[in-house]
Amino acid sequence: MRRSIGFVMVLALLAVGFAPALAQQKSTLDKINETGTLTIGTRTGSPPFGYVNAKNEWVGFSIDLVDELIRPALEKKLGKPIKVEKKESTPPTRIPLLSSGAVDLVAETMTDTRTRRDSVDFTLTYFVTGAQFLVKKGSPIKGIKNIDGKRVAAQQGSTNARIIREKAPKAILREFPDQPAAFQALAQGQVDAYTNDGIQLAGLKAKSPNPALWEIVGDFYSYEPYGMALRKGDTDFRNVVNAGLMDGIESGKFFEIYEKWFGPKSELPYPMTPQARSFMLLQVVPK
Amino acid sequence: MNYKFNWSVLWTGESGQWLLSGLITTLELSIAAWLIAMALGIVSGALRTVRFWPLRAAATFYVEFFRNVPLLVWMFFWYFAVPPLLPQAIEDWLLAHGLEFWAAVVALGVYSGARFSEVLRSGIQAIPRTQLEASVASGLTTFQAYRYVILPVALRLIIPPGTNESLNLLKNSSVALTISVAELTFQTRQIETYTAKAIEALTAGTVIYLVLCVSIASLMSWVERRTAIPGLITGGGRRRR
Repeated sequence: MRRSIGFVMVLALLAVGFAPALAQQKSTLDKINETGTLTIGTRTGSPPFGYVNAKNEWVGFSIDLVDELIRPALEKKLGKPIKVEKKESTPPTRIPLLSSGAVDLVAETMTDTRTRRDSVDFTLTYFVTGAQFLVKKGSPIKGIKNIDGKRVAAQQGSTNARIIREKAPKAILREFPDQPAAFQALAQGQVDAYTNDGIQLAGLKAKSPNPALWEIVGDFYSYEPYGMALRKGDTDFRNVVNAGLMDGIESGKFFEIYEKWFGPKSELPYPMTPQARSFMLLQVVPK
Repeated sequence: MNYKFNWSVLWTGESGQWLLSGLITTLELSIAAWLIAMALGIVSGALRTVRFWPLRAAATFYVEFFRNVPLLVWMFFWYFAVPPLLPQAIEDWLLAHGLEFWAAVVALGVYSGARFSEVLRSGIQAIPRTQLEASVASGLTTFQAYRYVILPVALRLIIPPGTNESLNLLKNSSVALTISVAELTFQTRQIETYTAKAIEALTAGTVIYLVLCVSIASLMSWVERRTAIPGLITGGGRRRR
């Protein structure tokens, strides 16, 4: 009896530790070529990057970049039509999804960081933002300087939670697995503020039933450059993805997609700053 | 395989401290919820076998209502929906004293209590009805008969399925992370946040849950052997020894 327990435990450990190792052998390009499908991980509740809209369609800026810039680049490279399949990823699940081979590309709202680069590779930066706070209108909270002793919600696994813990250790941090739960906690008064990247708060506010009730406060207390994540060391695939993004930036298609989601006529006007525009252009290397 | 394992993330930095605090929270949450579950389970399980139908109906309602809604929904219910119904002073006090923890305790306790109730009912019904009749005939009230005869026997009979439910409760406590309780699974995700090493962190969590559950199971099988009643179904455990 005792021996069999030990045996089962060893088996379980092996399964947990090495299943991903067995799962992923061939290169991502080969895999896409074989299946004719690019599987991406994206969000369902992070407007306007990836969300389910009122017509029940799964859309967003990050999804459009994949569909309109990266997919054509892949089709050109492989010489056949490629289908994009979407799966849901969240901050705690996106790196495991990628490592295990369940998705090939994470295109959502993921900040490129040096720590994350130890585990995954990133594409070009395609959006820049910084963290702020969403509060009920009239709240005494005006930024990271006066959240001491206040209950602040953050998304678990996000860079924001980590920075709050370091820069404002006296704040009472409450971490939720996804954006809807965190916003619910704010709406119910379980927390005093919800912190996330400014652009996401703006998206959340715009999509909420009563946007006038909410206010985004505080200067950016962090720098959040968004990149898409890929499996580490898969250089060929990364080159194709980056080439797709660069072609898009160069041809202006990227800025058209930006206008669609953040232009003056969009649901969430967020004009690109001149610095951000030149930063995008400067990332493009010559052909 | 393009994933580079780096197991040292589990013992460098604050990881060890996080895992320990997560383990403690998981145990606190599970023990508190278990006490609620046992109390509710024993009362409602016993009430489901009594003759007086209003009590039986009330217990049946409790069991069917709480066990047939997913635990995740109960977590949200006790965390989001209940506090606003309480008087403002109590709500403020709870917010300042770990509302999410207590919401999770109640959610898990009440939900598991409904499941535990069914286990106990099956234990009581495994005892021949004549034992209750004999107890009452010997001058005990129905309450005394349950308290001194039926329940002590039934509780011994249900140690194996009861252990099962207890282990389920322990593992279900991980659902509390959805309402931001910093239990063990939450802390493994925390390590992932800081190190981007998800597989290592998940493995650590898996091992801790496994060791915890196997220890409890072994302890309970010892208890089972010690408390076995010769001639009843638990006698099987004795013979095997």
